[in-house]
Amino acid sequence: MANQKSKPAKDRGTSHGRRTFLKATVASVALPYLIPASAMGKDGNTAPSNRIVMAGIGIGNMGRGDSGTFLGRGDVQYVAVCDVKKGARDGAVNKVNQKYGNKDCKAYNDFREIMARDDIDAVHCATPDHWHAIIVIEACRNGKDIYCQKPETKTLREGKLMIDAARRYGRVVSGGSQRVLGDYRKTVNPCWNGDKGIIKSINVNVGPLPKDCNLKGEPVPAGFDWDRWLGPAPWAPYHPHRCSGSYSINGTSWRSFKDYSGGGMTDWGAHHFGGATFAIDVRELEPEEVIFHNENGKKFATCRYPNGKLIHHNYPGRGNLHVEGTNEKGPSKPVPEYAGSGGIYGDFIDCVKTRRRPFRDIEFAAHTATVCHLFLAAYELERSLKWDTVKQQFVDDDEANRLVDVARREPWVI
Amino acid sequence: MTNKETAKMTLAAGVATVAVARADSAAVNKALETLKTYDWGADRNALNPIDRAIIATHGDSAARKALEKSLVDALAGGISRSAQDYVCRKLRVVGTRQSVGALAALLPDEKTSHIARYALERIPDEKAAQAMRDALPKVSSKLKPGIIGSLGTRRDKKSIMLISKLLGDSDIQVAKAAAQSLGLIGTSAAVKELSKFAKKAPANMKMPVGDACLVCAEQLLADGEKSEAVALYKELNGDDQPKRFKVAATKGMLTAATKK
Repeated sequence: MANQKSKPAKDRGTSHGRRTFLKATVASVALPYLIPASAMGKDGNTAPSNRIVMAGIGIGNMGRGDSGTFLGRGDVQYVAVCDVKKGARDGAVNKVNQKYGNKDCKAYNDFREIMARDDIDAVHCATPDHWHAIIVIEACRNGKDIYCQKPETKTLREGKLMIDAARRYGRVVSGGSQRVLGDYRKTVNPCWNGDKGIIKSINVNVGPLPKDCNLKGEPVPAGFDWDRWLGPAPWAPYHPHRCSGSYSINGTSWRSFKDYSGGGMTDWGAHHFGGATFAIDVRELEPEEVIFHNENGKKFATCRYPNGKLIHHNYPGRGNLHVEGTNEKGPSKPVPEYAGSGGIYGDFIDCVKTRRRPFRDIEFAAHTATVCHLFLAAYELERSLKWDTVKQQFVDDDEANRLVDVARREPWVI
Repeated sequence: MTNKETAKMTLAAGVATVAVARADSAAVNKALETLKTYDWGADRNALNPIDRAIIATHGDSAARKALEKSLVDALAGGISRSAQDYVCRKLRVVGTRQSVGALAALLPDEKTSHIARYALERIPDEKAAQAMRDALPKVSSKLKPGIIGSLGTRRDKKSIMLISKLLGDSDIQVAKAAAQSLGLIGTSAAVKELSKFAKKAPANMKMPVGDACLVCAEQLLADGEKSEAVALYKELNGDDQPKRFKVAATKGMLTAATKK
């Protein structure tokens, strides 16, 4: 968006690359036969110089889908991809170059090279979860907006750091659950319409909890930068099940394991708890207590918000997203919707242009992940915990506070 | 009888085993024995009794001490990397100053430094921070950013001078980690070191130092040091600063203005 009046408030250093070249060339030389009208935006499409210049980081599995969606948008110019797997990189580069009919798309193994490019406005990130905070914060530092897949955080500490970075630099940071608004309208709308009366609680059934991984090592496949895949996580030998991006959570994908994910609790939990916090309208809050229940060996838990509302996890006998309210007709309020067109992706792009906060703003997304992490801490310690939402610490519980974050493998610091 | 009561009785009887519920102690000891041969590919479930013992001994300092000692002894006993990994994860939760020596011994080794910090960073005892401060000058450049980061995450004020000396390190990863951690520590002394370095910072350190100063200013504001925060924001709003810092500093000053 280099030529737009409403360009993002960021310093770009010395502008360079295709757009500068195009602008300078058009200004100085008449080349009517070399520059198609479409490139100038005269066929009704957005001219490349006015598109959001984007790159993708982590482009296997979910990242492939995200990449395809952004690439398909007329108001996006996709210029770079980053992945630690050469095969994924090459495939993505080919796809982008085919789309534009050129060879402009660049491939990177190290996301920091994308961050260093002043010509890129925004990135999307679909790496495993243990990378999210580092990449989101680095994007903000480098003046880039970012769409980050869910669950946005891997630890309790990360959420505030990501929100702070977004606010500090005025970046648009969108979380990645398309289901929060897309899948849960049957739950959300009656709550916002006042049909449930005063909401008391909602239940989410989701799992399993993440596991430790002790898989035996295998040779690292050619073209796979295993050390960078591990990144801030503890070193471990390569095994295909440790790093598979498969959506299963049964021990054959990174989503199953503690070092890279919160298991089903955060993976599907980011969707379900996102829908739950939306339905009972506590997106702006964090719980101040998580209550651990063990009734005859049946373990479940409840998060309590400062306004008294409850989110249960696996409450016996209650269905997923079961809402408990007073059931008299209450006041209604308009249900928030996406901006722009194209669902959550369009919402993000629209907000990049308008500088508004997206539907799945990092604050709401991180708060959802906090719910998941509080439940995980309570299940790990098998006791109830009080959470100080200001200090971002458990109250009077040094042991629980050790679970607020993990030490990152060098050289990564957040 | 509860697990905790049983554990206390076991200790009182002078039994030199891990003090958990009588029904579980044999299983815990078997799991501790398993650690001696545990390696990648071994059944993780074989160690579950230790996980259960951690939960069962919560609030029972004597039982915890015995359990911790068993883990420390295992760590010092020449176990595999996978077993070290497991033990350090457990010491992250139950470790005290009793564990620090064994963990500190792992800090200089590139294979074990991080997993040692995995425990040390989260052990609140000052001795854990001291072990990392002591190790910092001695470890390789590759390991320094990790230790610096752990000290920053802890907001360890005693490490400010040690870390600030590394702002000008020839290894950019070390220098960046130093800036970032001083920002996280976020005290007046940290600001002083960052500001001093900012005046002579090479081009590739201007962004990390500016970012660290912004983080520092936010921390000072949160800690009630409004005038210092505003002074720092004014520095970051100077004509010589990049636009992104000036915008952020202006926002910071507006935030400060609304604070009492």
